[in-house]
Amino acid sequence: MKSNFKSWPVIVVLTLVSLPLLIMFTFQLVDTFTNPIPGSIWPESFTVEHWRFLWEEPELGRSSIWVVTWNTFVFAATTAVAVTTISLTAAYALSRLNFPARRFFLGGLIILHAFPTITLIIAIFLILQFLGLYNSLIGVILVKSALELPFGIWIMKGFYDTVPWEIEMAGVQDGASRFTVWWKLVLPQVQPGLSALLIFSFLSGWSEFVLPLVLAPGNEAQVLSTYLSALILDDTKPDFNLFKSVGMFYAIPVIAIYLIFQKKLMNIYGGGSKG
Amino acid sequence: MNRRTALGFGFLAPALLVVILFFLAPVVLTVFFAFTNMSTSTGIRGGEYLLNQSILRSIPEDAISTETRNTLENAGYQVNDQGLAKLAETVSPATADELRSLHGGARFDSRRDMERALKDLRENRIRSTRDRKAAADLFNTSILNTRYNTEDAFRAALAGTNVPVGDHDALTSFAYTGWSWTTENMKLLFSLDSSYRYAANTALYVALTLAFNVGFGLFLAISTFYLPPVLASTFRTIWFLPRILPPVLYVLMWKWFTWDTGFLATMTGYLGIAPRNWMLDTATNAWVFVVLINGCVGASLGMILFSSAIKAIPTSMLYASEVDGASRWQQVRYIILPQLRWPILFTTSYQTLSLLTSFEYILLSTEGGPGRATEVWALAAYHTALSNYGGNLQYGLGAAYALILVVIGIIASLLYLRFFNFKELVSKPRIEQ
Repeated sequence: MKSNFKSWPVIVVLTLVSLPLLIMFTFQLVDTFTNPIPGSIWPESFTVEHWRFLWEEPELGRSSIWVVTWNTFVFAATTAVAVTTISLTAAYALSRLNFPARRFFLGGLIILHAFPTITLIIAIFLILQFLGLYNSLIGVILVKSALELPFGIWIMKGFYDTVPWEIEMAGVQDGASRFTVWWKLVLPQVQPGLSALLIFSFLSGWSEFVLPLVLAPGNEAQVLSTYLSALILDDTKPDFNLFKSVGMFYAIPVIAIYLIFQKKLMNIYGGGSKG
Repeated sequence: MNRRTALGFGFLAPALLVVILFFLAPVVLTVFFAFTNMSTSTGIRGGEYLLNQSILRSIPEDAISTETRNTLENAGYQVNDQGLAKLAETVSPATADELRSLHGGARFDSRRDMERALKDLRENRIRSTRDRKAAADLFNTSILNTRYNTEDAFRAALAGTNVPVGDHDALTSFAYTGWSWTTENMKLLFSLDSSYRYAANTALYVALTLAFNVGFGLFLAISTFYLPPVLASTFRTIWFLPRILPPVLYVLMWKWFTWDTGFLATMTGYLGIAPRNWMLDTATNAWVFVVLINGCVGASLGMILFSSAIKAIPTSMLYASEVDGASRWQQVRYIILPQLRWPILFTTSYQTLSLLTSFEYILLSTEGGPGRATEVWALAAYHTALSNYGGNLQYGLGAAYALILVVIGIIASLLYLRFFNFKELVSKPRIEQ
């Protein structure tokens, strides 16, 4: 808004506090395509050698980046679909259908939504060992979907709540069953929420680190987050240009998806998401 | 159950199944595991029963009698009918017959003596050393070094020896290699100095990070509110990135920033300061960066929530104050901040719980170091049960650590439910009355 205040002191302060992040982002980008002057951090010459991990044979004992990327995609996509599907029906039941103990389930949802799930990781680790799903992609997918579910139901319930009752009333009046009403009339109304949740869960799965680290540390089920962290931990003499290139490769889909679907995602980010 | 109820439960069923399997079961099992001594060495399924020299030596003096010890250690070999029958089966009936006629009922103290007896058979001597060893084993009456899958099998084997019956119970409990119920974890948790240290670390971490999150989030939201739109969205994008970037990459950037060949070291190098790892150099530095790394992510969230709350303030209020000659500080203090009371309360309560239990960014950045300076409670649970350098993962003790957090989490969530506008949430569906 226009005012009789000067803006420049605010801009100066904001720029100063943003400087560390700006420096990190800039070097994150520049370092993937340049070599530094030996012994310093300033870029000297252009090169693509930091991206060699994309086409060279992987080192002994390390998985190929493409296998790992595929794993990450399968993990994120399956999780997103599972969370969205289950949330769609459960949230509708909680938002619109009348059945015994509905109050109890709604209270349970709030508790689950607030409950810090990461505290359960030790028990979940042991459960997966019992079930024989430890160290497999399926196990991590199941757990990630389950932990993401209260959030998904919460978001979808919010979207269902905004659908006008008149639409359903009209459908029921015309003789449609509740199921048909949901499938044909209500679902198209919550379509923005559906796609937002789908994208959000995909990004959340893509970025997940602790679950794959604990539940599937083996090479077969490795995802990009654990691949990158293992790469960083392994090296005695760190090659930050390589790390940053792998990191860039890992983050490109996230940034691209965010840029494309920014408006849709804001529905969720603004809606009181998990801290 | 009528059709409408069936539809409701049908729609809810998949979610219920998942919730029971991965929320309720883990909560119950955390309690259960916290009262066991499960670890890598005991395994997580039931254990076996095994006695050997070293286990025998580790049994306290007065727990079992000396006679029992001697009987167990010197049980030796005996040519009995059972062994002979097996020998007839595996080698040949003739061998068994000859051994019976020469040594029937004889006792040998050591394996060497038993093997010699087998070697010295006149007609049917067993020539190969390996076969002789296998044959000698058939007459072994000692229960040392044999694994028994069940307690009954172990007790049956004990009954077959001359060990006094009074010592059977004690031996059985010492021979058990699996996990058992115990309250030791809880006692240990409250007696260890390190527990109090982790609790103090956690309190410090939550307090500092929360203050940074809320304070800086507010600053970002309010300051960008007063900027021209293009500049405002630029700054918001910069501060939104920490939240959407994958944690591993985000922390990698901080690692580079503070590494001994990274940005800070290079800059301070121009001032003549020897290069060092600024993050892990001292405990204070580690704390500063742990708070900054977590804080920037939290401030991101705060900024988004507060920004949308500020946008909801009617602009007429701000214009009116402007006309009355209010300074910017007065605008913030008397108009914006009072309107932000609920979002601030929400963010504070929400992030307290989330910070209390999360360890992802600390694990990635300092891993609790240097030493144990930045080890928080949740990270200690992780290190105890899921990853440590010793390799013996103590699931039981780790679950005890986690149990404290689970209890706090449940209490906090219940409070959350109370403060929520629950009535509005459960308003009845309007079609079925």
